[in-house]
Amino acid sequence: MTASMSQCLMQMVQTDYAISDYQSEIAPRWCSGCGDTAILTAMQRLCRDEQLPPEKTVSVSGIGCASRLPHYMNAYGFHGIHGRALPIAEGIKIRRPDLHVFVTMGDGDCCSIGAAHWLHAIRYNMNMTVLLHDNNVYGLTKKQASPTSPHGMKSNTTPFGATLNPLNPLTVTLGVSNVSFVAQAVDWIPDLLYQILRQAYHHKGLSFIRILQRCPNFMEHRFDDWVRDPSKMRILTHGDGLRLAPDLSRVYKNQETHDPLNMERALALAALEGEIPVGILYRNPNVPCYDELRAGERPNTPALVETVLNEEFDKVGIWPDGAAAQVGE
Amino acid sequence: MQQAQFANSFPSIKDAAPASVSALRPALFARYGALSELRHDYPLVLVDEGQGATLLRPLSRIIDDILKAAAAPGADGEAMRQQVLKLEARIRRAVNGGRAGRLSALWRTAAAEMVKESGEAPFGPLDSNLDAARRHLDLDGEVIGCNAETPARVVTHAWKARQDAKARRFRKRVESLILRLSDILKSDHMKSHEAHGAEALASAMGRDVDGSIDFDALSGVLERARPEDRLPEDRVKRIRHALEALRCQPFFGPGRASQSCPKRPEPYNYTFTSVSDALNAHRARLPDVLEFTKAMTVAELEVDNKYRPELHDPVFARFDESDLTAEQMDLLPSALICLRDGVTVSAEIARAYEALACGLPITVLIQVDDLLGPTAPEPPRNSFGAGTTRLASMAMGLNNAFVFQAASAHLFRMCRALRRGMDYDGPALFCIYSGATPSVRGVAPYVLSAAATEARVFPNFTYDPAAGADLASRFDLSVNPQCEADWPEHVLDYEDREGQGCRERIAFSFADFAICDARYQRFCHAVPQDGWTPAMMPTAEHLAEPDEGNAIESSYVLGIDPENRLFRVVVDAKIVEAALRCNDAWRRLLELAGVNNSHALRLLAAERKAREAAERKAEAEPEPALAPEPAPAVAEAPPVAAEPADEGAADGVPWIETARCTTCNECTQVNSAMFRYNENMQAYIADPDAGTYRQLVEAAEGCQVSIIHPGQPRNPDEPNLAELIERAAPFA
Repeated sequence: MTASMSQCLMQMVQTDYAISDYQSEIAPRWCSGCGDTAILTAMQRLCRDEQLPPEKTVSVSGIGCASRLPHYMNAYGFHGIHGRALPIAEGIKIRRPDLHVFVTMGDGDCCSIGAAHWLHAIRYNMNMTVLLHDNNVYGLTKKQASPTSPHGMKSNTTPFGATLNPLNPLTVTLGVSNVSFVAQAVDWIPDLLYQILRQAYHHKGLSFIRILQRCPNFMEHRFDDWVRDPSKMRILTHGDGLRLAPDLSRVYKNQETHDPLNMERALALAALEGEIPVGILYRNPNVPCYDELRAGERPNTPALVETVLNEEFDKVGIWPDGAAAQVGE
Repeated sequence: MQQAQFANSFPSIKDAAPASVSALRPALFARYGALSELRHDYPLVLVDEGQGATLLRPLSRIIDDILKAAAAPGADGEAMRQQVLKLEARIRRAVNGGRAGRLSALWRTAAAEMVKESGEAPFGPLDSNLDAARRHLDLDGEVIGCNAETPARVVTHAWKARQDAKARRFRKRVESLILRLSDILKSDHMKSHEAHGAEALASAMGRDVDGSIDFDALSGVLERARPEDRLPEDRVKRIRHALEALRCQPFFGPGRASQSCPKRPEPYNYTFTSVSDALNAHRARLPDVLEFTKAMTVAELEVDNKYRPELHDPVFARFDESDLTAEQMDLLPSALICLRDGVTVSAEIARAYEALACGLPITVLIQVDDLLGPTAPEPPRNSFGAGTTRLASMAMGLNNAFVFQAASAHLFRMCRALRRGMDYDGPALFCIYSGATPSVRGVAPYVLSAAATEARVFPNFTYDPAAGADLASRFDLSVNPQCEADWPEHVLDYEDREGQGCRERIAFSFADFAICDARYQRFCHAVPQDGWTPAMMPTAEHLAEPDEGNAIESSYVLGIDPENRLFRVVVDAKIVEAALRCNDAWRRLLELAGVNNSHALRLLAAERKAREAAERKAEAEPEPALAPEPAPAVAEAPPVAAEPADEGAADGVPWIETARCTTCNECTQVNSAMFRYNENMQAYIADPDAGTYRQLVEAAEGCQVSIIHPGQPRNPDEPNLAELIERAAPFA
């Protein structure tokens, strides 16, 4: 198989990737202090620790601040159109199952214009890692209310304050059929963010991580209460889940042992008010994946594609006398 | 350099044939080939006095201000933008082509040409847009390009502005004294016999009196009631003498109250092209200065009736130049001496230093046109490549003189310093490089003068004795590119043989500047790409490690030929040595500016050594049997929530809670040598001595998750430590 051949060749050339191998030549152009940088670093750490070949890794995004991430990864990337990151990623995954697919979206990108794709992607449960960068605001366009903006938030589109209660991406995701992995992370505890991302990567199926992320320019003090008061962060632990380093464990004492198969508790945690749960809320490795159900018997290698196309062309070809018979032979 | 476009600026290395060195210029100049088409700090408008606080304003900024006010968002505004920008380009080309004039006149001419060329009737859309934009033009003045005349014109303009301000202040004060002294004499006159005479009374009433008043009778009545308290004779004489001196002063043009002066002397000229002339004029005018100053002092005492002959007469009898105060000198005009290095004999420049050292209120401009000097100076001296680059540095040793050094290209950015120098009440030296070096061909003076600053050959700096008592307040080196580096680095984009875009960061060093000069090109050799070898080393890298190998012959800079083809220009050891001298001078300036101060570094090294020795000793000693447990510290300060787990906090060493770092780049942008990322891209303090305590505190304040703890200052001599320690307290 061509894919595995090239993989072997590449491994012969390079067997040890460093973080710098995943950093593109473009320096991140996010605002100073933006939480997106922590997410990018966690992704690059994951790639290094899992030794993912850059040519076998692809990140797909829509539009927004978060969606700039593929530019900063030295891997394949697809900066798509608004709200359409998931269908593009699904197309890539079904055509190239050998690639490691990461999807990055903002809260506006995923939960507003891309909401329909989001729900169906959860239901299709294709094997990919989805990162929702949720800063509660449209930052790229300089502060408009997003579906996750808190009630009463003043913005350019809601000068008198947002009139609706925010949408909770966790409860919505948990409510969709075939959901298989839902987690929540925060950018200001980068070690847990990395661990959650790693668990998500190893999960078979669509792993959905909502990452609460600070926007220092347009939602400056949104998460200050939680950043400054670690007791408001509830860390979810379980046997094969997160492991807090001793120094972090001293800071984040509010911990709960949670069974990730317990949907009822997961929903309760997702709807928690006042505290932010961090960890894996729900994980079920037995949910069927659409890409596995619909996988073809033969892999779509270039040689196979050429053969099939030629067969189809031959059906309508006009041949000189006797030539068709020779081809037929 | 400010630029807006990079048309035809892409160097390439394909098909590079051997080229003559004389045709080459540094590769980084590629962007600035067609300077007239680029928006930059020239032409410069010498703004007329009274039109805002600014002395100089680049045309491009004026146009930007106009467009901000006049061009509305939308298609119409965009049309106006394009038209006004074309007008700006036309004015720039005209000025570079030698046209001179005031901004309003150049605008009118350029606008008329544009309308004529467009074939549009007057008052059409183009004409109306340009006219609407012109109405937002709220300043005017002479427009100058960057050439050999620029330094003298800018400094003379600034000096005139200062003298005009002085003249206004002078006239206000002198005229007030004249009027008040005149009032004293007038009121005394009203008590005199002549003032009460019939004739005087009749003339006071005017011609329209119809004979109903008997002025003889009136005079008789008034004469009987005339008060006898007339002013003493000597006081009247003193006041008359002071009045005459004030009215006939020869320093500034006369004001309204001085119109009655019978002599009406021409004001002295205060601009000179020779120090000797200036000093001779100063000596010749000294009696007038003393006379005027005495008159001023007498007048001020008289208007307040505080003159006591028994006390003040002896003082004024022996009054001489040693009694002149700085305030009195500051009231009078200061002299401007314009010297041109290379044109003015060197003895004049030496004399200028003597005049500056005397503390006379003079402003000296030394315009430098040739920085490097000849390669074989006569008489022979060790100055290869160091012609006249140290004049201002030498003047700083005078200590009481304001010193200003800048290249023409940066005059606008140094405008505030220029004004400060003019306002300084002692001697001031302005050393300006024009960029019009005769032996450099094909490089615009603007680009060459900017390159002199970039290459550290002619750094911009000011030394202002009025700014404070210490060197940190007085010396300012901040208006230089990438100030803390030996050589500034820039990105060079070029195409390789296959036409693929390549990008490289290259340093701009002394050698890059030297290859522009025809006299120095015989010490260079151009090598096309076929001849490039791995043994070749960029000059800046070679300079950083001069002892690394024996590769002096293979030290090179990147150059381009007129067709923008890239070459390596191998430079001679002499140029490398001159570059080392240049770098040495730059480092000395950095030390003066407090960067890598050798005294501080030595103290720190000694402190560190002592501390390490103490730690080793403590480790070697056995622990006491029952050492008391230290009380646990409590982290109560917001926003840090972590308990102090690092031993660094205990002994004042700065530290970071690395595990909580979110890689936001805030601290590494403050100082990338002090803060670095570990293998997980999380920050740690690599070297606390690689920067200042201020940087540590600023990084702590900027950290989004408040995990940087600045500890205690390591350099006790750092300025404003008390304030910094206070700011660091929340992050302890």
